[in-house]
Amino acid sequence: MRKYTVQVARALVYTGLTLAVATLLILGAGASPLQCAGVFIRGIFGSLNGFAEVLVKAAPLMLAGLGISIGFRSGFFNIGAEGQMYMGAIAATVVAMWPVQMPSWIHVTLAMAAAFLAGGLWAFIPGILKAKFGISEIINTLMLNYIAFDLTGILIRGVLQDSTDYLPQSPALGPELAGILAPTRLHAGFLLALLMVLAVWWLMEHTPTGFELQVVGSNKRAARCLGINVMKSIVIASCLGGGLAGIAGAGELLGIQHRLLEGLVGGSGYTAILVALLGRNNPWGVLAASIGFAALQVGANTMQRQMGIPAAIVSILTGFIVILLLCDALILKLIEKRKVEGAA
Amino acid sequence: MELLEMKGIVKAFPGVIANNHVNLSVKAGEIHALLGENGAGKTTLMNILYGLYQADSGSVFWKGEKVHFHSPLDAIAAGIGMVHQHFTLIPTMTVLQNIILGLKEKGYPFIKITEITESIQALAKRYGLAVDVKKRVSELSVGEQQRVEILKALYRGAELLVLDEPTAVLTPQETCEFFEVLRRLKSEGHAVILITHRMAEIMAISDRVTILRDGSDLAVMNTQDTDPASLAKLMIGSELPERPVIEPHKGDAAPLLELKDIVVKKERISRLAISLQVYPGEIVGIAGVDGNGQKELAEVICGILSASQGTIQYDGQDITKATVYQRFRRGIAYISDDRHHDGLVLDMNLRQNLMLRKYKLSPYTKHGCLNRNKMDEFSSSCIGKYQIKPPSPGIKMRLLSGGNQQKAILAREISEEAKLIVACQPTRGLDIGATMQVRSILAEQRNRGAGILLISADLDEILSLSDRIAVLFRGQLMGVLDNGAELKTETIGSMMGGRPLAEGETTYA
Repeated sequence: MRKYTVQVARALVYTGLTLAVATLLILGAGASPLQCAGVFIRGIFGSLNGFAEVLVKAAPLMLAGLGISIGFRSGFFNIGAEGQMYMGAIAATVVAMWPVQMPSWIHVTLAMAAAFLAGGLWAFIPGILKAKFGISEIINTLMLNYIAFDLTGILIRGVLQDSTDYLPQSPALGPELAGILAPTRLHAGFLLALLMVLAVWWLMEHTPTGFELQVVGSNKRAARCLGINVMKSIVIASCLGGGLAGIAGAGELLGIQHRLLEGLVGGSGYTAILVALLGRNNPWGVLAASIGFAALQVGANTMQRQMGIPAAIVSILTGFIVILLLCDALILKLIEKRKVEGAA
Repeated sequence: MELLEMKGIVKAFPGVIANNHVNLSVKAGEIHALLGENGAGKTTLMNILYGLYQADSGSVFWKGEKVHFHSPLDAIAAGIGMVHQHFTLIPTMTVLQNIILGLKEKGYPFIKITEITESIQALAKRYGLAVDVKKRVSELSVGEQQRVEILKALYRGAELLVLDEPTAVLTPQETCEFFEVLRRLKSEGHAVILITHRMAEIMAISDRVTILRDGSDLAVMNTQDTDPASLAKLMIGSELPERPVIEPHKGDAAPLLELKDIVVKKERISRLAISLQVYPGEIVGIAGVDGNGQKELAEVICGILSASQGTIQYDGQDITKATVYQRFRRGIAYISDDRHHDGLVLDMNLRQNLMLRKYKLSPYTKHGCLNRNKMDEFSSSCIGKYQIKPPSPGIKMRLLSGGNQQKAILAREISEEAKLIVACQPTRGLDIGATMQVRSILAEQRNRGAGILLISADLDEILSLSDRIAVLFRGQLMGVLDNGAELKTETIGSMMGGRPLAEGETTYA
């Protein structure tokens, strides 16, 4: 009971602080905070399209966030979802461009499978380097992001470029993830993301592999002393995480853009780290956090369109939320102290 | 006059009252023992004295005046020195640098090294604390490091020294020398608070003893008016549990474990070079001062470290190359000396920790899925059999006391299938009740026919449980002795100090 009230108090403190900062920023941009709030909320709940757009934006965050959360729980700090998403998209493009006659759903499935493999392989590199030689995965995954991004740039100006055009992008791809809520952009990728939430939860809570991953994540030394294969666990965690990010990238490609282009991922891989953090590495938490972040983005975009307030405000707020989360221990202490003083 | 008086000290932590109106008084020139089990409140009381904690109520009088120490700096300035169980020296620095570290000596930052060296040497000579001030701390033995810690406190003008379990890391001979130092300190008018739970030491060195139990001070008495048995009874609040019964060794079977010329290297330095046998139904005690290769020995048997040379025969097969998991499955159980890092996952719950060895075996995993019901059954039976408290499988391991954490490890490691039990410091940090329980479990397993390698820095433990005793020094065996009532502790003591057993030497009185 006491724990519960602390949780509520904490949530209230966070929301209050975030709203206060948002108010200040909007005032700084020269608009009325109340009016903004109205537009913001109408942007999300005001229309079917707005609501569907939230889910569209949530899907890649959810998938990549799940992948990152597996890594975090297993002690593999994967900053490389961005790059893994690009690698997934590249592989999916190659498969989708493959000029073979087959039913569309098979073609899409193959493309998604290729994306999973490519993302997984991309994460396997820092995974094996960490597992075998103890090289920092944080630096490696980050650096591989640049490589994957620039590789995409080279490919869409070369072998994967649309030959009928001069723009740096791939041709329009035939196979696509089916829409599930016409006329909005919501596509089957969202359902896949939900399915993955369930799958990751099952893996982590109900299988021996998930158990091993958690042991390795909380105490590598004990895992080793008790006969758990630490190397194997790290490699599994990295590859699964990369694979999920790969699917996230392919989802954007086959569900939304239908062409490989440089802005395809556009930082979702980094936002997904925050999703995992905010969701406390719990699949259901990731589900909620990804929808929350997506809603923030959609609301802010509406604000920008209708009132000319820069959507960058959301990025500032995001940064602020992360700082709050990192100060979690401190804030909890302050709340506890308050309560003790109040009781005395 | 009393040098130090602590009156009515109260300190509560969430869920526990660590000190409940505790009184302590120490006279100048007195060696005052502070006796109590783990969790009795000794450390909390000393941390309050040293300014690390602030008391909720109660007062501290130093030389008759009421004082309030906000940090260790205040305590040091007043003349109180503390030597922690884990030393706070910087290994890469010299003794001299360690002693003056943090002090602004005359002329700082241009200090006169020769003068300081001389004054430290004079101090060392006065108290019999022989140590070379120019050596790096990393080159010193544990006993020498302890002397440096004491010198450090004395150099800062300590009139009262608080020593936390100072003999835990010493050989019997080193302990004797250490007691000489204490007597010198006493004769020079210093006061010493000695935190310990070894009765023999209290009887040998202290003038008075204060007994703490469950956060309260039960009694203060003159050492000469009491005896170990009544002290122990006061400390634990009941009669001492009986010593485990060791049945006569059955003998004559083939060795269960045989280490042949095993060499373990770490950072290219040889840490262990050993040949040893363990027979079924016997306890082989490994005596030795901490850090002489004990941990390496345990880990090479369990497969955590790999041997760079030699072979390990176990139960008729070569297991030199087998993995940790394979060895456990073949019956090698491991009780590690480091519960928090090696033995448990503190952030997981009790059930998960109990399952750590068996989670992927049937019936706990079926068709690739964990079976929660079977895991619950197993953990409940462990909790019941070993009386783990609190008996809730969902509790975070971190929240259990040391004794209950150790019971959880025993419950997990020891089963019918365990043929060899490698027990590394199995009672370290446990109170007397839990210690006796652990020892009788080991004795029971031996009597059942398991082979046990008991590694312990506590010589009493080795002597009371072992069939044979091997002494380890700098990674090498100094000899193997048959245990018996007439075995001379001096022999073991000098072997612990590095003298190999001569051929044909009599080891009995």
